[in-house]
Order: sequence, then C-alpha cells, then structure tokens
Amino acid sequence: MVNVSLVWSSPKPERTIAVAMRRCYSTKAIEDIETELEQKGVEYWKFLLTKCLQDKSLDVFEHFTISLLVEGVGEVELSRLICRFPYIHATRLNEIDWLFSMNARTLVELWRDREGKPFAESVVAELDRKHVSPLFNELVFGDRIHAC
Amino acid sequence: MRVKLLYSTELETLKKVLAEKGVSFEPEALLDHVVYMFAIEDCSRVTTHQLVRHRVASYDQESQRFSAATKEGVVTPPSIQTNEAANKAYDEALKTVYSAYEKMVTAGVPKEDARYILPTAIKTKLVMTINARSLMHIIWQRTALQAQWEIRELATSLYDLAREATPELWTKIIER
Repeated sequence: MVNVSLVWSSPKPERTIAVAMRRCYSTKAIEDIETELEQKGVEYWKFLLTKCLQDKSLDVFEHFTISLLVEGVGEVELSRLICRFPYIHATRLNEIDWLFSMNARTLVELWRDREGKPFAESVVAELDRKHVSPLFNELVFGDRIHAC
Repeated sequence: MRVKLLYSTELETLKKVLAEKGVSFEPEALLDHVVYMFAIEDCSRVTTHQLVRHRVASYDQESQRFSAATKEGVVTPPSIQTNEAANKAYDEALKTVYSAYEKMVTAGVPKEDARYILPTAIKTKLVMTINARSLMHIIWQRTALQAQWEIRELATSLYDLAREATPELWTKIIER
C-alpha cells in the first residue's frame, strides 16, 4: 500500500500563486504586490485562483512546490508514472521508498489523468491532512470548480 | 537591478527524511528537490531573453500588453553610458521610439500592439521558481567571463542568495 507524507511545501501557497499572477499584470515592486495581497486578503486570492482556472493559465501554479516521502512503491510502478509526468523528480531512498518533488501544475495534470489520479488523490488527501493550501485544494480539486 | 529570494526549500526537512531512511546526505541527490523562488526587477528584456533559454524553471513576467512603457524604464549598458557620442545616439533613438509609442497609444492603438516598437533595453520584472540543479547550470554558464555583463550580474546575485539560503548544499558542491 502506498503511503504519502508531506515533507515540505512552499509557504502560503495560495498567496505565492497570487503573487506570480499579479506579477504579470502589475508594474509594482514585489513588496508592494505582497502588501496589496495581504491587505485584500483571502477572498482576493480566491478570485485570482478562480480566474487562473477559468482562463486555463495553470503556469502560475508552478510556483507552488511540494516535496513528499512516498513509501511502498516499486520501481516499475514508479517508472510508469514518471514516464508520463517528466516534471516529477524522484530520488530512490531504498527498494520501495522515494523522495518526490513536484509543482502544483503537475499535481493538477496527475489529477486529470486516469492513471495518475489515484496518486494525485493521495497527495491531495495529505495536503488536506496537513492543512496545506486549503483554498487551492477546494478550488482545484473540490466540487465547485474542477480543473479536469 | 534588484534580486530577492521569496522562498527556498528547507534543506533540513529533506535531510531529516534521508536520515530516517538511513541514507547519507549527498548534495547531488537533493539538487532536484531544493527549489528557490526569486523576484527579479529592473533588468532589461535583453537579459530575460537570455534567462528564459534555461527552460527547466517557471517564469512569470510583467506583461507589456497591459502595462504602459516609459522612457525612464530602460537599461543603458556601461559601454554606451561612458561613451558620449554613443550615449547621445542612444538617448535620441529612445526619445523617437517612446514618442512614437505614446502617439500610437494616444491614437487608440492597444498597448499590446504599440509595444512592437519598444526596445529590448526596456526594464522588466519577473518571478522565477527553479530547482538547485537548473540554478547551478545557470550560474555556471552565466557567471563565465564570456557571458554578458548584465546576466553575469544577475547570475552572481542568484548565486549569493541561494548560497546564503542553503549554504550546506552549495558549499559541499563547490568544495568538490
């Protein structure tokens, strides 16, 4: 049985994505963009993330990165996944345990893929358990707006 | 030019996983897992064209489709700055270009079309997220003496910030 544990994730993932999105449309210095996003708060981040999904501008999700400990996966099974998703980085720790790193765009692509979805579901469940990116998870993988 | 580190992976959390699994810490094993997000401001589009040739990274850059350009927002290379005749020619050309840009925008041409006349010297802002392996490649390539002065300045700043954030990773590799 595959066990997925979060090792590390980008701080404030939704705000990080929002910073990247505002960078495209603003002439302000980065500190001013960050201040603006803090002042406008979570509802504004939600608006920006929803717009990304509606416009299919998933590139900004690449700034939200995660590292995971994945236990109980054989090399053949893992190779199949990595061949389909080359932006997953995996380092072998022993026969069945791996250190994984990827960005949230790859996670969305895994979620959309029939073969990748079970693994994506494990990752999203772990993000939920650790209270990482609750807004992102709700918008992208929740019931209201599906990325797929 | 201004470069700021927005976040980087906490190396200690990755090392802890290795230790728990009885794997010794080798920096090379973690190069794909350690990630940095940088804000880069007020470098020229000449330099960002060179930067984005390093493809294993994520970039989001200020769009000229939506933000207006100004003559003040350009980079002048030192070789032009220090040459009176060249500096005069550069300044005159910029005045002509920006005057045409402003006339077009005033005449109702969308900024996204008027920008076709803008110089690549124009200053820009972007964010870049990149793993340590790709960042090391940029640094090796772009701090070389053959690299152009502006991207060399950028690569040096990226190196200083990354090394400060994750000294163990960079020091071990440089020592080898």
